[in-house]
Amino acid sequence: MNKQLIRNFSIIAHIDHGKSTLADRILEATNAVSKREAKTQMLDSMDIERERGITIKLNTASLRYNYNGQVYDLNLIDTPGHVDFTYEVSRSLAACEGALLVVDAAQGIEAQTLANLYLAMENNLVIIPVINKIDLPNADIPKVKKELMDLIGFDEDEIILTSAKTGEGIDQLLQAIVERIPSPLGDENKPLQGLIFDSIFDSYRGVVISVRIINGKVRVGESIKMMETNAVYEVTDITINTPKEVKKEELIVGEVGFISASIKSISDVKVGDTITLANNPSKEKLPGYKPMKSMVFCGIYPIETSRFEDLREALGKLKLNDASLVFEPETSNALGFGFRCGFLGLLHMEIIKERITREFNIDLITTAPSVVYEVVLTNKEILMVDAPNKLPDKSKILEIREPYIKTNIFTPSEYIGPIMELCQDKRGIYINMDYINPTRVNIHYELPLAEIVYDFFDKLKSYTKGYASFDYEIIGYKASDLVKMDILLNGDTIDALSVIVHKDFAYQRGKAVVEKLKEVIPRQMFEVPIQASLGNHVIARSTVKALRKDVLAKCYGGDVTRKRKLLEKQKEGKKRMKQIGSVELPQEAFMSVLSMDESK
Amino acid sequence: MINNDEIKAIYIHIPFCKNICSYCDFCKMYYNKNLVNKYLSELEAEIKNNYHKDKIKTIYIGGGSPSSLDINELNKLFNIISLFDTSNLKEFTFEMNICDIEENKLLLLKNNKVNRVSIGIETINNKFLSLIERCQDSTEVYDKVMLTKKYFDNINVDFMYGFPNETIDDLKKDLLFFQELNVNHISIYSLILEEHTKLFINKTKPLDEDIESNMYYYIIDFLKKRGYVHYEISNFAKEGFRSRHNLTYWNNDRYYGFGLGASGYIDNIRYTNTRSINNYLKGIYVLEKEEISKRLDMENEMILGLRKIKGVNKKHFYDKYHLKLEEIFPINELKKKNLLIEKDGNLFINPYKLYLSNSILVNFIGNECLK
Repeated sequence: MNKQLIRNFSIIAHIDHGKSTLADRILEATNAVSKREAKTQMLDSMDIERERGITIKLNTASLRYNYNGQVYDLNLIDTPGHVDFTYEVSRSLAACEGALLVVDAAQGIEAQTLANLYLAMENNLVIIPVINKIDLPNADIPKVKKELMDLIGFDEDEIILTSAKTGEGIDQLLQAIVERIPSPLGDENKPLQGLIFDSIFDSYRGVVISVRIINGKVRVGESIKMMETNAVYEVTDITINTPKEVKKEELIVGEVGFISASIKSISDVKVGDTITLANNPSKEKLPGYKPMKSMVFCGIYPIETSRFEDLREALGKLKLNDASLVFEPETSNALGFGFRCGFLGLLHMEIIKERITREFNIDLITTAPSVVYEVVLTNKEILMVDAPNKLPDKSKILEIREPYIKTNIFTPSEYIGPIMELCQDKRGIYINMDYINPTRVNIHYELPLAEIVYDFFDKLKSYTKGYASFDYEIIGYKASDLVKMDILLNGDTIDALSVIVHKDFAYQRGKAVVEKLKEVIPRQMFEVPIQASLGNHVIARSTVKALRKDVLAKCYGGDVTRKRKLLEKQKEGKKRMKQIGSVELPQEAFMSVLSMDESK
Repeated sequence: MINNDEIKAIYIHIPFCKNICSYCDFCKMYYNKNLVNKYLSELEAEIKNNYHKDKIKTIYIGGGSPSSLDINELNKLFNIISLFDTSNLKEFTFEMNICDIEENKLLLLKNNKVNRVSIGIETINNKFLSLIERCQDSTEVYDKVMLTKKYFDNINVDFMYGFPNETIDDLKKDLLFFQELNVNHISIYSLILEEHTKLFINKTKPLDEDIESNMYYYIIDFLKKRGYVHYEISNFAKEGFRSRHNLTYWNNDRYYGFGLGASGYIDNIRYTNTRSINNYLKGIYVLEKEEISKRLDMENEMILGLRKIKGVNKKHFYDKYHLKLEEIFPINELKKKNLLIEKDGNLFINPYKLYLSNSILVNFIGNECLK
């Protein structure tokens, strides 16, 4: 294959702007899949992705496209749209020379699109602007064109109009990919340098790595070396996705494909590492990726304590194609053995939890998410604290700093009021507002990250009827007047329920949390007092009354079978609860410590 | 585990009703003469196929409303019952609705060895009667019960409480009326909003659980003071009038169940009959069968036995299973929590925790207990 005939590109789009449908349509247009085989969201292979209609993991498809008598290899490297997965986006972008910027003809540019676009531009990718869904009755093409021109500086005639639904414009788009996106650079004769941009675990083949060849080439049977881990393996299999799996003998410079090499040890493979040939190694590693910093932490515990090792294995397997997941063992008095896990954001956390439950069948209790605090001790030492119960004693603390973010909130201007009110409630500091056009605005606030880890997205959605989109960047740490609030059940402090709060909001939070707990903790055989305290000082209290009725008075003749079914159902329900001392807690209890006063 | 003991109890289900009560989720259907006839024929076939000449001590005919059958149909039913060996018969209960009580029916029952009548009264409060879609006034109820008493001294009445918005005063009025009836047996039930009932579909709001619980303990107190012995979660009897038939169930003993939707326990099999009249009339009687392992039987022994106020006798359990209760179930833990009490070799639910029975009984199911 001549590398002049290769085009590597990805698609950048906001959720729901039609990225996956557009990808489906491109696959169809290049005859990669027949209409008969087509299911929607071809590239989204995880159940969660199809169900939630989002892309989480990257996926790659190699397509053949006939243009002016030449057959081109188009490699589409899929990208996730959500802000949490920026890291994944940057990985796929590093394997490309170009990107399609897809914008919904009715909704215009959204916050996340812009963030990913800037990433692509930093990577010097050629951008092809695409306005999609032009078939929509409420499409406003001139307005969206103007946004693209004003905001990013495209020329009007660069913009391609498509409808992934009807297929209109797909041919022009494919032509533009061939004409505008450069073929990959690199030298076939140099020693092999291949960028590992993803990996998965396959129970038959071991670890399978996704590679973009930057220089040189690699053939089946050759020995490759991971430059960072120094592990050496013999290549057993090279495949590409069309999106059916097709075997190949070699990958040459500029190409993208999957390499299997009977890699059994998960830890030998690091996404971002460079592969080279063992007998003719490259002298230099590719720059790879900056390790991603986890922003949100929570404790993950198996409900059945005996499944701790299973949980460790599950996390290990997930980490394989999700380098951003970090975890270390942690012990809680209340919950036993588990892991403190770090995530890129809340959605990332939710996805991981769901995958553990679904793919590994482990029932979990997760503690409320927390951010990482920078604690300055009286001896000037700095301690990073990622869990409330790791906070040192008050007397040893000089200052607590918390991470702050700067927001991009894209919204129709009529929602400016409610959004500002929301940000104010979340301890926000107003910076400024950019008008994108007379009716749309980008609002910038500084907010403590801790304030958005719970219900900020939900609130924003409901305050703006779903019209606002939100993205953020971390801007650093600032000192805040923070304290640890403990929750006591039946007089015992439950470490997994402690939370770090701003002192001015502590009373209000304590009251809200206690009320919420009263609501979510089911009545038990005994009365359960609930208290919130700062140190020894109780700031709020409530009581879950004792259960009074739990009986089936009526007995259906001697039908004990039916009675048993009821009892078994009740027992199943009990299993999903965590027994702490004499109190049974449902999962919601652990999240309720993030409750805010809803009466406001 | 093989049990070759003779079966001593028989339950027969008659699913027909002239009126469908809004709370009822038993197996029932509207009375239809043609269907009754076919049903009785099929019932006879089922019995002939399955009954093994055991000497029967107790028979219970329930429903639906068996009393909705007319004299001819009742005669046909009693003809079927004459198939049983009743040489040892001690108790024969027949369920009656107030509106069906009339002298010639009572006489017919009496002449066919029925010696116990169970009457569904539930309440005399008009508000609640219209809620459960029953029509009766207190004078009628009183007169009909007195009429029944002319022929039978062993009478049970069903009492219902826990109606939406019911107050303790409402409850007292009903209880005082029941006291006047001065019968020998009372069963009490709270209104349960079961799925597939009219009440559930109409989204009836249940009574607050604290009030309902208070009512339960109030009723116990009320009836005890009037000479009734509380012998099972829901049942009260004057001395000598406990229901032998129902004790078969609570003692986890075997029994035949015949008819639509009936359940039974024969040899090692617990079975439930179909609720589909069409299948039943085609001779497809059984819907589900479950083989009862020793483990399961021990669990059932507890689930059923702990319904009795006296509970389960430890020695009896050991004699039956050759295992100690404590080896199988978390008895000591439950005793420590004061949920179970042991006295004179009997293990029973703390009387103050009776209304939380399910939470206690869940400790007796599943393999986790088998440590």
